Amino acid sequence: MRRLLCLAFLLIASPVSAEQLVSGISQDLIQITSNYTGSDIVVFGAVEGDQTADSRSPRDVVVVVRGPDSDITVRRRDRVAGVWVNRDAANLSGMPAYYFLASTRPLKDIAPPDALTHYNIGLQNLQPDAVHSHHDYEPFRQAALRHLTKDRLYTETPGGVEFLSETLFRAHVPVPAEVTRGQYNVEVYLFRDGVVESAQSTPLFIDQTGLERRLFNFAHNQPFSYGLAVVAMAVIMGWISSLLFRRPA
Amino acid sequence: MEIYLPIAEMSVQWIVILSMGLGVGFLSGLFGVGGGFLLTPLLVFYGIPSGVAVATTLSHITASSISGAVAQWKKRAIDFKMAGVMMLGGLAGTGAGVWLFAIMRRAGQMDLVVSLTYVPMLGIVGGIMLNESVKTLRAQARGNAPARIHPTNHVWIHGLPLKARFRQSRLYISIIPPLVIGFLVGVMSAIMGVGGGFIIVPAMIYLLRMPTNVVIGTSLVQIIGVAVVTTMLQATSNYAVDIVLAAILVVGGVIGAQFGVRAGAKLRGEQIRLLLALLVLGVALRLLWGLVITPSDVYSIAGL
Repeated sequence: MRRLLCLAFLLIASPVSAEQLVSGISQDLIQITSNYTGSDIVVFGAVEGDQTADSRSPRDVVVVVRGPDSDITVRRRDRVAGVWVNRDAANLSGMPAYYFLASTRPLKDIAPPDALTHYNIGLQNLQPDAVHSHHDYEPFRQAALRHLTKDRLYTETPGGVEFLSETLFRAHVPVPAEVTRGQYNVEVYLFRDGVVESAQSTPLFIDQTGLERRLFNFAHNQPFSYGLAVVAMAVIMGWISSLLFRRPA
Repeated sequence: MEIYLPIAEMSVQWIVILSMGLGVGFLSGLFGVGGGFLLTPLLVFYGIPSGVAVATTLSHITASSISGAVAQWKKRAIDFKMAGVMMLGGLAGTGAGVWLFAIMRRAGQMDLVVSLTYVPMLGIVGGIMLNESVKTLRAQARGNAPARIHPTNHVWIHGLPLKARFRQSRLYISIIPPLVIGFLVGVMSAIMGVGGGFIIVPAMIYLLRMPTNVVIGTSLVQIIGVAVVTTMLQATSNYAVDIVLAAILVVGGVIGAQFGVRAGAKLRGEQIRLLLALLVLGVALRLLWGLVITPSDVYSIAGL
């Protein structure tokens, strides 16, 4: 929420005279079907406005795709009597289930660290909304970032945004098969001199469709019948197989 | 070829899942164990969320156990009375297990409790079976008569009240030990997604002194009962049963189980016990290894 407000503020606060950002996405709805193995969306856009005014300073585009908020529990194991045991834990809520960032250059070259922190941009600036922990949660947050990056749910790709011409840019966003369903937000930022000049946010929906959707609904709306269906399937298949494979005698 | 699992919310290579079902089904037909203690870790290792793996493995157990049970039933190798008594204990155990499951998961000690109970249990069971089957095989190799198991080793079991006659098993014993064994296995079934055959089978042989030929069929019937109830509980309380995953596992499982039963018919009881002992010990060692080696990352994440 805090992040959305920040974005809204940016949009309002952008000076009207400066360059404006226009962007779009190749798909605003990703449907998960039985053969879904992940997909690829394209975020594209153009920088409109006065090009000549201050063309001497470099301008940069950052594309961020954020998944729905989720709760992450991080546990730390310690050795107790020779055995590794989960001892301390931290619950980080409000971390995105998916985070993708692409930029024209490495973030550190685009804006100073405190500016990035201020705009909430970059993996290192992902902060939970609330923390449940008896300890300093920073190592736990770092562990979450590390694990999710390994699972390719968190990605930061410097150079992932390419300018096709003076004004046109494009970025490929890989959406892995393991993504959570829900509303995603595609945010595009235009930086100049380490300051956001313009920003735009577009929602992206990821949802199941067809048979998958019906099975999911069935499991959640009629769990008892669903359970019976699974049991019946198992029983019948077991029975049929024993009929098919009669003893070779 | 990949297929999307609607409840696990991920894509899997269905051929890999099918192979897991086949392999574990084969072992389940061979040994009369459900194979959950192998399949659940395999699925988790593949990347299926552990809640879904635990809940869905039970369908595979149901199907391959039914397939095996029908084959045993034709051989009249099932003691339904014994299976019924154990199932009663099992249902109570399942209820307790679901309750424990919630507590342990909240505390984040799920894996630890599972490993700490598994290692000594599997270690002892596997060790006893290995020792006994090797002795029997050696005695046979020397041409001696197989060593007889003397029921007098377990006098205390015969001192318990509530005795009943189990005709198929040629036993006249108290119903308390089968009830307790059933209960313990029910708890494990809910917590770990295992049918518990690898505990029931040795318990029937070494504690209850049931004849090996009825042990497999009887344990399968007990496992089916517990697995069906646990599937229903998991479907209604946790929404964790994935029907697509279940279907793939079941197809592999039933086919594998048929070949397993056939392979088992070619082996002698003590040979089967030797192989099962090695398998059980292998799993125990694997779990022990996981407890004592230094993890590559001491942090782990859950609940995404």
